[in-house]
Amino acid sequence: MTDTVERGAPVIESRPLTELDRRPTFFARHKSLLLGLIGGLIVLSSWQTLVWVGVVDDKFASSPLGAIEGIGYLAESGMLWEPTFSTLTSVGLGILISIVIGVPLGLVIGRSSVLHGLAEPLISIMYSVPFVVFLPIIIFWFGIDDTARLVIVVWAAVFPLLINVVAGARNLDANYLQVSRVFCSSRLKTLWSVSLPGTMPYILAGFRQAVARSLVGAIVAELFMGTEGLGYVVQAETSNFQMDHAMAAIGVIAVIAVLLTRGVAWLESRLTFWSGSVD
Amino acid sequence: MDDATGRPVKLDVSDVCIGYRDRRSGSFFAAVQDLGFQIHENEFIAIVGPSGCGKTTFLSAVAGLLPIAHGTLELNGAPITGPAEDRSLVFQQASLFPWRTVAANIAYGLEAQRRLDAAGRQRVADLIELVGLAGKEGKYPRELSGGMSQRVNLARALATDPDLLLLDEPFAALDAQTREVMQEELTRIWQADEAGAGKTALFITHDVPEAVFLADRVLVFSASPGRLVESVPIDLPRPRNRDVKRSPEFMDQTEYLLDLVMRQSGLRQEVES
Repeated sequence: MTDTVERGAPVIESRPLTELDRRPTFFARHKSLLLGLIGGLIVLSSWQTLVWVGVVDDKFASSPLGAIEGIGYLAESGMLWEPTFSTLTSVGLGILISIVIGVPLGLVIGRSSVLHGLAEPLISIMYSVPFVVFLPIIIFWFGIDDTARLVIVVWAAVFPLLINVVAGARNLDANYLQVSRVFCSSRLKTLWSVSLPGTMPYILAGFRQAVARSLVGAIVAELFMGTEGLGYVVQAETSNFQMDHAMAAIGVIAVIAVLLTRGVAWLESRLTFWSGSVD
Repeated sequence: MDDATGRPVKLDVSDVCIGYRDRRSGSFFAAVQDLGFQIHENEFIAIVGPSGCGKTTFLSAVAGLLPIAHGTLELNGAPITGPAEDRSLVFQQASLFPWRTVAANIAYGLEAQRRLDAAGRQRVADLIELVGLAGKEGKYPRELSGGMSQRVNLARALATDPDLLLLDEPFAALDAQTREVMQEELTRIWQADEAGAGKTALFITHDVPEAVFLADRVLVFSASPGRLVESVPIDLPRPRNRDVKRSPEFMDQTEYLLDLVMRQSGLRQEVES
């Protein structure tokens, strides 16, 4: 072993420089980000150009610059921060409730073959059926206040979370549980120190879907039964033919969606840095 | 019953049968049968046998992970009914928790048994030193090589200071050089661990030279269902190092045992006839 390294070492030192030794250019290092920005700019500027030359009517289609002005209007008339806060509250509370219900329930169902047999078809169906179809029924049950909005967000978020946690608990490496048994861990200790961290990659995958769907749930709820929130702003401003204002609110929703997705990705890298192989 | 040196019996195995019942047909399949022998205090025992002879099944039963069908299996005079704090197991596979650091993995047993106090933490630190992992406390399992992982595996098992140390082919998945190194390391660690110098150990392997190098006594199992064929005392002097493997005594005993094991798997029948 050692003499191959010794024989190999001088060769590495003296070989001529190749492509691999050069530091990649700024463009090469940020390729996907830059291309994404350029793509976005192309679409937005074409849109703006079409409005300027009069091909499309900005009363109907709004325009990028109009939307930016629209944000100013929303901020002045109290339709920016309060609705944003309201939407984020629905999403946050809904996710919190989904986690409190979904994670322990998923772990228990996943670890018990009887419970899994009983619950799995039901969870799959509830996961597959678009949650929006329950909207009329939920309105019938809960009215159109905050509770109903929260119910629809939880309804949207809890099933993807549940289905992933169940899958994770079922795929938990049997070796880990055997280690736990050999060292006489209590059930609670095993759940907390083995099952929970061992399922964490699945929990976070479910969490990622749950976050995305809870935002959809919150916006849909606001569109149909809200008196507040960004979805309501979009709905109300469109009814008033204020397309710039509606487009501005959609822009805010887009920013929230991107930030939430990034936040979850960051959380995933923090909590499951250990999963992922050496190679 | 004490042995010639007067050491008390640690593990008493008599007339043990372990197996499982097929769920469909209901018929019983015995993995080991009519098994009987004794292991004495501070003995290092290696079990060898053809693959599928039930040696791992037997080890799982001693660990308390599998029930025995009949017979008596007693540790320190008390029957084994399940996992307990007086035994720990070194697993064959990478069974380290990937979300825990090296130090936290080693501490797991003590933590589970609520013994991770100041003395426990000191024990973990000492073991990291002993198994040669100093400076690697904060690493995660995915950053470790196969040999390193098995050092952690061994240290985790030793941390709870078990009465009986069980090792299930711990070096089977390692490459040849690493395995040689780990065998030497194991004898060193086994002799040096001050919490219980030369604690009783039961080592399963299919590698005969490994068994001869490590053990005080090698038990040979027959092909399925596993029975005890012969118990061969290894009287090579301790401490042992690599040079032992070149001694004529080592070669004689290895050759004798290899012949015995291969006879069990039917590989040497043609030589006899």
